Amino acid sequence: MFDFAIAGVQSPFMLLVLTGFTVGIVGGFIGVGGGYMVTPALIVFGFPGYMASGIDMTHIAGKSVIATVRHRQMGNIDWVLGLAMVGGTMLGVELGVRLLNWAKKLGIAGILLLTCSVVVMLCLFIYTQIETQKAHKKIEKDAEAGITAGREVMVSGIPRFFQSIPLYPIVRCRTARLVISMWVIVLVGICTGTLAGFLGVGGGFVRVPALVYVIGATTHIAVGTDLLEIAVSGGYGAMRHTQMGNVDMIAVMFMIVGAMVGAQFGSIATSFVRGPAIRYILSYSLILATVGACLRLIYMLTGQKYEVLSFFAVVFTLGEMFFLCFFIVSLVVFAVRYRHGKSVPAWIPALVVKD
Amino acid sequence: MSAEQRKSGAFKFTFWTFLALLLIYYAWHSYSSGQMINWYYWEAAADGYAVNANTFKEATKEKPMILEIGPHAEITGLQAVPVKKGERLPIGCNGIISKKELEEGKRVKLEDDRIVVMVPMQVKEAKGFKYKDTYKHKGIKTNPWSGAWNVAWVLALGVCLGYSAEGFTDLFGLKLKKIEHYGH
Repeated sequence: MFDFAIAGVQSPFMLLVLTGFTVGIVGGFIGVGGGYMVTPALIVFGFPGYMASGIDMTHIAGKSVIATVRHRQMGNIDWVLGLAMVGGTMLGVELGVRLLNWAKKLGIAGILLLTCSVVVMLCLFIYTQIETQKAHKKIEKDAEAGITAGREVMVSGIPRFFQSIPLYPIVRCRTARLVISMWVIVLVGICTGTLAGFLGVGGGFVRVPALVYVIGATTHIAVGTDLLEIAVSGGYGAMRHTQMGNVDMIAVMFMIVGAMVGAQFGSIATSFVRGPAIRYILSYSLILATVGACLRLIYMLTGQKYEVLSFFAVVFTLGEMFFLCFFIVSLVVFAVRYRHGKSVPAWIPALVVKD
Repeated sequence: MSAEQRKSGAFKFTFWTFLALLLIYYAWHSYSSGQMINWYYWEAAADGYAVNANTFKEATKEKPMILEIGPHAEITGLQAVPVKKGERLPIGCNGIISKKELEEGKRVKLEDDRIVVMVPMQVKEAKGFKYKDTYKHKGIKTNPWSGAWNVAWVLALGVCLGYSAEGFTDLFGLKLKKIEHYGH
């Protein structure tokens, strides 16, 4: 047990290291901060809700920098795209926070927040699943025809529409190989930022699909660029939380130490897989988080009578972290086996790359 | 991988790990010396009485606890120090009992020059999670510079650990190449 004097709680520090490690793997791989998993975990460990949010946000900023450094080495960051988006994201976050305060005044914040989370995550899950399965089938079809698929296979036609909007200034994103109106990037930043500010999360789970399906970046670049974005917006969020007295820096330090190892593994793991594999895991992460949020919503709608719902919501959210880690580690193990010509399940070759 | 690349990897790993350890040492030292805690419990955000909420957490309505009011420089037990908004907090303080709460008299009340604590903790709900609402962290303001300082520390640690890990993989011959995004 470690005495966290600022947070005023005693908790095993190894649990924080382990949480940082698992969320580091998931975050480094799918490009999310993981706030929707870490905050409930910290509350379970005994931290007050506001401290959990602050510690989570501050650790996300540090972890995102670690993952960003690695993604930069692997060429997964488009700096122009990322920096163009930052302004829109900040504006959006401010709008989202004001929207939340407005909902609080009406007394509907809790229910509106959970309903909004469930609807957004469910819609994203359905679209990502449909698109990714189509891409998966296309890779298998190509393989049957003797064509080796590239790192990225995407079948969505939406990005072409947004890339054709002729609104000046038009920016050229060299790494992402995109020529797109600056306004589209800023608008995407505002929309995803508003959702992030309203839901009180980093927003990676909305921004990565938006970068892929609206802007048209490859999944790997979306992940790397989003982590850069999270480092900037997370840094701002961390500063605000610290000023409000919501952060115990020693707890943050333990989490970052764990996240260092996890984020390395998660980031490097992306080099073993194709884009659809990342999108699959992102979509599973979304549906698992949706179930957790749904349970919490039912708990609130039923007048908080059934404690079992709240309990399972927490269990589900914590289980999600370990399930996703297990999934990512398995994918890497299969990818290595596939590279060495060993037997792998039939669905693996379409999701991993040989070299 | 050439010996030259391994050598540069070793240098990168040593340099950035050293910096990361320095940052971790700084945080640990600042925590154990009490500087970090001092920055956290910096000044009063409301008029009231500075207290150490840990000392009266066992109080109940049946067995209330009494806090002695006085101008103590350090709070060591069941003591309360009157503070005004914006004043520096005494050492050992970890929360403020506001004048408003004392006037309400539901959880705490003022009797002569003593504060009677009856409900030191209550369960509240936020974001669908229940948490203990205590006087700890209430009515306090952190050092205004601590936000910028902490973020600078976190981002610097992130950069150091990131480059240290990069040096580590280079050192062991696992230099990662840029991903070919548009192959085929």
